[in-house]
Amino acid sequence: MSKQSAGNSPALGKFDAGGRVPSNATAKRGNGAFTWPAAVAALLAVLIALPLASDEKFVMSVAVTTFITAIAAASLHLVVRTGHVTLGHAAFMGIGAYASVIGTMTFHLPFALSVVAAFIVPAALALVVGPIVLRLTGKYFVLVTFLFGEIVRMIFVNWSSVTGGSNGIFGVPAPSPLFASTVPFYYLALGFLVVILAFIARLLNSEVGRAIDAIRESEPLARCSGVPVLRTKVMIFVLACGIVGVAGALQAHFVRYIDPTSFSLVQSLNLVVINVIGGMYTLVGPLVGTVFVVLLPEFLRGYVELQHVFFGILIILVMAFFPGGIANMGTLFRTNPFERFRSARNR
Amino acid sequence: MFTPAVLAQISVDGIGLSAIYILIALGFTLLFGIMRVVNFAHGAFAMLGGYALYFLYGNMGLPYLVAAPVAALAVATVALILERIVYRFFYQKMFQSMIGLLGLDMALMFTAVILWNAEERSVPPATDTLVQFGNVIFPAQKLIIAGIAAAALLAFYVFTRYSRYGLAMRAAAQDVSIAEAQGVNSTFIYKLAFFIAIFMAALAGGFYAQTYALSPFVGEPQLMIAFVVVILGGMGSIPGVALGGLLLGFANSFLGTFYGNATSVFVSFGAVILLLIFRPWGLLGAKEA
Repeated sequence: MSKQSAGNSPALGKFDAGGRVPSNATAKRGNGAFTWPAAVAALLAVLIALPLASDEKFVMSVAVTTFITAIAAASLHLVVRTGHVTLGHAAFMGIGAYASVIGTMTFHLPFALSVVAAFIVPAALALVVGPIVLRLTGKYFVLVTFLFGEIVRMIFVNWSSVTGGSNGIFGVPAPSPLFASTVPFYYLALGFLVVILAFIARLLNSEVGRAIDAIRESEPLARCSGVPVLRTKVMIFVLACGIVGVAGALQAHFVRYIDPTSFSLVQSLNLVVINVIGGMYTLVGPLVGTVFVVLLPEFLRGYVELQHVFFGILIILVMAFFPGGIANMGTLFRTNPFERFRSARNR
Repeated sequence: MFTPAVLAQISVDGIGLSAIYILIALGFTLLFGIMRVVNFAHGAFAMLGGYALYFLYGNMGLPYLVAAPVAALAVATVALILERIVYRFFYQKMFQSMIGLLGLDMALMFTAVILWNAEERSVPPATDTLVQFGNVIFPAQKLIIAGIAAAALLAFYVFTRYSRYGLAMRAAAQDVSIAEAQGVNSTFIYKLAFFIAIFMAALAGGFYAQTYALSPFVGEPQLMIAFVVVILGGMGSIPGVALGGLLLGFANSFLGTFYGNATSVFVSFGAVILLLIFRPWGLLGAKEA
């Protein structure tokens, strides 16, 4: 979340048929009193102090859920930045979760090692699958990952001797006796979130990050400029799948229970929704999206179906009128909204 | 195990399934071929078709041969409103359409949950009589479904092949701007193609609800069927849908009978993933540049 990574919000690229001018709304806001490092530091201070203000179990568990979802959404953001939208990301989250749970419960590994397993197992699978599926582009990639996610979910359901079938696995242990209570777990999850986000922000801000953006804008052009396209894409995919596996492990050890439905298409869709609503071309996007998608429903409890209808309509609106997402809303105020509406309709 | 009677039984099941699959996938491929829209909400319209048939036939007791087409017509007519307020913004924008219509799918599915709750219902079959051919016995219901589906497919073929509007539709599928330059009203053609696509999806949704069950969530497996069939045949290819539908229908019926449903889904998905990797444009589709 450094200044550049938020600011180099690139063109909407090959997805935008109309070839709209790229916007640098977030970068422009950077001048004056508002600076990114200060904002990040202030936010971090608030998050560290939050348990002092309220250590109520409800607040803490909502916060932990938000952190875990933010890790997963940020890892999907890595893949999205290369220009691919995967509908199978929750499957890798599930593989990580099952790897960690089986590691601690069957092989009695300590939590630290099982988290490593939760990174390595989905990453290894991604390394096998990635070079094959990442040759596909656009709709074909979306469809293959959609089917892949379904296959993995069916394996969770049908391989009941290992995964417990559709009943799932109960009694997952806490990471350690210390983290069995909510407030220490809050700091554990916050720690993971900060480290992973810092890593992703640094990565996107490096030469690799510029290669990623180049690949999204135009694969042939990137290849001509000497970017190893497939190798970079596979590397990012492997990394993203490993990170989401860690998120899965955290969730499993926090909820103390896993079952196949937590890692189904709905969860994959949720992650895509978070990225789309928040904005697909800056790292701030999935974070804004997570806050929106995870926190808002907590205030609308009891109207679960209505939330989904609401999010569905919101996605339609975002995709039709602001493909840049909430993080890019600044553009809205600098172009005439009516003009925007008409141009969206006529294309 | 492979006696003639069993094989004949499997073929009859295969034809019944293929008819439903082709109807679902045809509309999906039509929307993709003409408007370049990946209709992720296709299963939701099929689900609505199931509910329309449930209310018209199951509750109000209209005669079946009236209820089935009227239910599909009703869904397609209401869907025209969505064409105006949602789909029109996504024509010729493949990526945005995929994500945006996922949103529509979610909205329709959970609206159905709010309106009709999530519990499973069953739509009664058109008739309980059994038909006997030699030593093969099967419900007449399957014949009726296959018959209506065949009639709809034939009508679709005649329409696109021989009518002026069908010609305009095919022209728009090849190149919209040139078709417009020749005087084709693309807005109208889009609306027409959308209507036909949703009509067929809703009809198939009714049959699906009778064959399996009906709940707000039956759209998802049907969307997957549309995907698999369309990928097998090739995105945008209409003969490809016929081939893909028959392949998937017979494969599901055969594998489902001998090895169980899970195996049949594994095999069909696995085959599709392999096909996508080695021949992403499908068996009969055209290779894209």
